[in-house]
Parts: sequence; structure tokens; C-alpha cells
Amino acid sequence: MNGPKPGLLRPALIGGAVAGILSGSPLFCLCCLWIIGGAILASYLVAKDSPVSLKAGDGALVGAFTGIFAAVIRAIVSLPFQTFNVALLRKFMERLAEFTQEMPEGWDTWFNRGAGPFSIAWFLLELVFWAAIFAVLGALGGIIGMALFGKKTPPPAQGTKNETSQDTGHRQS
Amino acid sequence: MSRRRILLVYLGTLAGILAWLGAIGLAPYLRSRGVPLGKFIYVCFSPVCHQIPARSFVAWGYPLAVCARCLGIYSGFLAGMALYPFLRGFSTVRLPKTKVFLALTAPIAVDTAGNFFRLWATSNILRLGTGFLWGIILPFYLLTGLAELALKDKKQIE
Repeated sequence: MNGPKPGLLRPALIGGAVAGILSGSPLFCLCCLWIIGGAILASYLVAKDSPVSLKAGDGALVGAFTGIFAAVIRAIVSLPFQTFNVALLRKFMERLAEFTQEMPEGWDTWFNRGAGPFSIAWFLLELVFWAAIFAVLGALGGIIGMALFGKKTPPPAQGTKNETSQDTGHRQS
Repeated sequence: MSRRRILLVYLGTLAGILAWLGAIGLAPYLRSRGVPLGKFIYVCFSPVCHQIPARSFVAWGYPLAVCARCLGIYSGFLAGMALYPFLRGFSTVRLPKTKVFLALTAPIAVDTAGNFFRLWATSNILRLGTGFLWGIILPFYLLTGLAELALKDKKQIE
């Protein structure tokens, strides 16, 4: 009745890669929907290979892993785009300057210099934070995916017909 | 014991969404007061939202920490949390019907696709509304999954 469940990590890595690459690219901004979509994909991949029905809890696990992988991959993918991101960020900061008077001193020269010095500490702090947020979003997507794809229709048990006819015969007598 | 665990999952999630929405509104307030923490909150929400000012509602003279659509989703999530005890209770957990999910997802999916492919441009009110509709159904999934993890093999899971 309870067969072996398939592994979760490989589908989570695939879903996380898709979500991380798309969310890390500045060209396709769909907010958190990439993470949820990647987790749904991971759930689909798990359910596809599973001989048994999977539950929402399984979806939450694979989705959480997907979110964590997505955060790591997003952090790596976004590095080459930093120059482009800097240009986008500059536009945002210029817009922000219209609303606030307390912009960091010399912020515009920071953009002229480029992305600025890379800080591993800040990178890791951001990564941990994103991983936590993406894990929750991923869990949600994983649960939705498992609800959509996780149920298996069990094959009819062999010998049911014979048993039924025997029961019927028994009842009738 | 199982009812208590489901209730704890519910309360934890409720606290989380209240804090999340609170931070969204706190960011512009702190910014209007010149408190640096406001900027930090904006940065925290940046991974999950484009935060384009033209697509965000304004409070205290500054855009909220997320766009109108995201605000709708999170507000809808809170509304779903408010409905949950009346529709499900805390004795068991079960997933919503797929038809209901698809019906509530269709508006945001169509609207997002239309905007993404530049077929049309939607107003912030409509973005808020479609996000709200989708957000309502989400707690029914999240709570079910989290409760199953908390309860593991308890028989109360359907």
C-alpha cells in the first residue's frame, strides 16, 4: 500500500535551477511567481516518477528545497548581470531620489564606478535571507504542485470480480 | 494533540502574514519619518517584488514595499486565513478542490500574461483585485502542507 517514495533532491534542483535562473535575470521580472512555478515543476517531476500518491507534506518538502536551491542559483546567476542590474538600480535610485532627501552620500558616484567592491559577508547575508523567503514560497508552490499532480489512481485489484460474485452468491443464499 | 498542532501551525502562519503585511506598510511610514530601517525593509522585499513605484500604492507619500499585485496576494492570503477556521476548522486538514483553485487563479494568470506580453496595461486596482482573489486560496494549501509535516503520519490527515 505504501510503496517507496521517489527522491526529492534532484527534482528540487531542477525546479530550483529554472526558478533561480529566471528570477536572477533582470529580463523576466515576475516577482515571486518564478519560485512558485519552479516548485510546481519540481512537484510534477517527483509525482511523475512516483508509483504512489504523494501528499501535501511531500510537496512542502520538495518545494522548500526548490526555494533554497533557487536562492543559491539566483545569487550566482545575478552576478554576471550585475552591470545591467547596476543600470537598472541606478534608474530606481534616481526615481527614489525624487521621493527622499536622505540618499546615501555619494551614491551617484558609486554607480559611476560600477558595481562597487564585492562583499562576501553581504552576499552571504542576502543569500541566507533569500533562502528563507524562497523556502516558504517554494513550499507553497510545492504543495500546489502536489495537489495538482500528486494523486495516483490505484489500479483495480485483481480477483475483485471473483470475490464480488462469491459475496453476492453468499448474500443471496 | 493533532488539533493543537494544527492550531499552532495556523497561529504561526497568521503571525507570519501579519508581520509580512505590517512590514509592507511600515516601510513607507519609516521613510516618511526619515528612519533608515525603512530603506532596509524595501531591500528585504526586493527579491520577491519589482517594487516599481508606478505599480505600487502610496502611503505617507512613499510607495509601499511591494507592488499592487503582490499587496493583493498578501491581503488575500490574510483574508483566506480569516476564513479558514470557518471553512475547515482545526480537526482535520484537506486540500481545496482543483476547480476552485483554477477558478481563482485564472484572473491573475490571464492578467499577468496580458501585461507580460504587453497586450494590455492593467490598473493598480485591478492588479490588487486579481491578486486578492488568488491570495484567498493560498492559505488552504500552505496550512495543509505544513500541518501534514507537523503531524506526519497522524490519521487525522485526509
